[in-house]
Amino acid sequence: MTRSLPLFGLFAGLLLCSRLAFADWWNFWSDQMVEQKVQVVEPFIEMRTGPAAGFPVVHVSEKGEWLTLLKRKTDWIKIMDAEDREGWVAVEDLLLTHDATGKQVAITEPRFDDFRTRRWEAGLQMGEFDSTAVNSAYVAYWMTANLSAEASLSQVLGNSSEIQMASLSLLHQPFPSWRYSPFFSIGGGQIDIKPKATLISVENSSNSMAHAGIGMRCYVSDRFFVRLEVKEYKIFTNEERNEEATEWKLGLSVFF
Amino acid sequence: METWIKRVFLGLTVRQCVCVLLFAMHLPVSLADDNKPLIAPDVKPQPVDESLIDTENFELGVLAGYISIEDFESSFLYGARAAYHLTERFFLEANIGFAEAGETSFEKLAGNVQLISDEDRDYRFYNVSFGYNILPGEAFMQGLFSGDTFAFNTNFYLVAGAGATDFAGDNRFTANFGAGYQLLMTDWLSLHLIYRQHMYDIDVLGETKTSQNTEFSTALTVFF
Repeated sequence: MTRSLPLFGLFAGLLLCSRLAFADWWNFWSDQMVEQKVQVVEPFIEMRTGPAAGFPVVHVSEKGEWLTLLKRKTDWIKIMDAEDREGWVAVEDLLLTHDATGKQVAITEPRFDDFRTRRWEAGLQMGEFDSTAVNSAYVAYWMTANLSAEASLSQVLGNSSEIQMASLSLLHQPFPSWRYSPFFSIGGGQIDIKPKATLISVENSSNSMAHAGIGMRCYVSDRFFVRLEVKEYKIFTNEERNEEATEWKLGLSVFF
Repeated sequence: METWIKRVFLGLTVRQCVCVLLFAMHLPVSLADDNKPLIAPDVKPQPVDESLIDTENFELGVLAGYISIEDFESSFLYGARAAYHLTERFFLEANIGFAEAGETSFEKLAGNVQLISDEDRDYRFYNVSFGYNILPGEAFMQGLFSGDTFAFNTNFYLVAGAGATDFAGDNRFTANFGAGYQLLMTDWLSLHLIYRQHMYDIDVLGETKTSQNTEFSTALTVFF
């Protein structure tokens, strides 16, 4: 069980991240088929076969035509025109259309400003823990613009031992409106050290630990950002002295 | 002449003038009235509600194929694949996979020798990777019975990432890179053909070396 802990954590994290997707599903089934329609007000709008700029344009809808919005993939929306032709339109093009009230369509593209309204953050990180490769996944909840709480799972795979860590931390970012936003973290958790089979006479050890760190969130685009951090660990052992370790990690995160 | 014109205008009674005026005024009004629907629809125009648009950025599915485990033959591989699409180009993916390693050539030649126990031959891995859709496109296929040609959206993508492999009594940090071809049968159902190289350091056969393990697999995934 402990061996599959990071794996389980990773998928649990992914599931949690999909909160938004499930909410959409729920709406989709419960609020069945309230047609979302928009009218083209620019001279024309292009429909593509798939949700990317690389797919060919197969149809052009003219000014005045009504389009029904069907589904969304990243920044593309599948639409159907009055003659049941289907295609994918970029959200930025749809933002120039009007809805039935005659006003500009209110569809949001995830932007840097959304940091202030979004509450959840999740990410994957890789780096080194005490000069050994570490993989890590985390989920964070933003309590205020400055303060967030997060849970993370890490797996360190060294030549002499395998380490698994689970920890909770508090993060403070003093300048939430900065695109490159530094933060400080403090937290604690559990660390399990399993020596490799070739080293005999060393037993598995499970200790508590505490850590403090600094890092930076660098907003890239849409809903994702790069996160870099350095942490100093203090491991409370049963031996005469405690152990220390330094960790750095780099990863990609998403906010919801 | 002048008296004739005077006679026409001055001779009109007040009542006749009012009639002419009313008729002239009434004409456009009555035309407009004809265009109005008999029953006015009692529907308020609704603005677009973004939350009612179904988003499909997650992908989840199963994979099966073969993995060549260095020094331990090729084995059947099965597992699961999950992906989250950040933009039309970038995505994150996570994979888990299970296989059972075969025998080394040493074990085969030496006969009754076992280098690692049967239990240690269980090959398990997980990895998380960043992916990039490098070539979106279309594939055209002839229908089997109808003779119609169908167009499917496709993506050719590259992936690179890291994870761990549990094999031969040890759990090792594993880097991976690869490429995939995705065929979207519908907007929500897709088929992947995947090539992936798994690399980790291993010392089971004496000296430490980087083990190269090649995976060829197919995955069937649904978007939600």
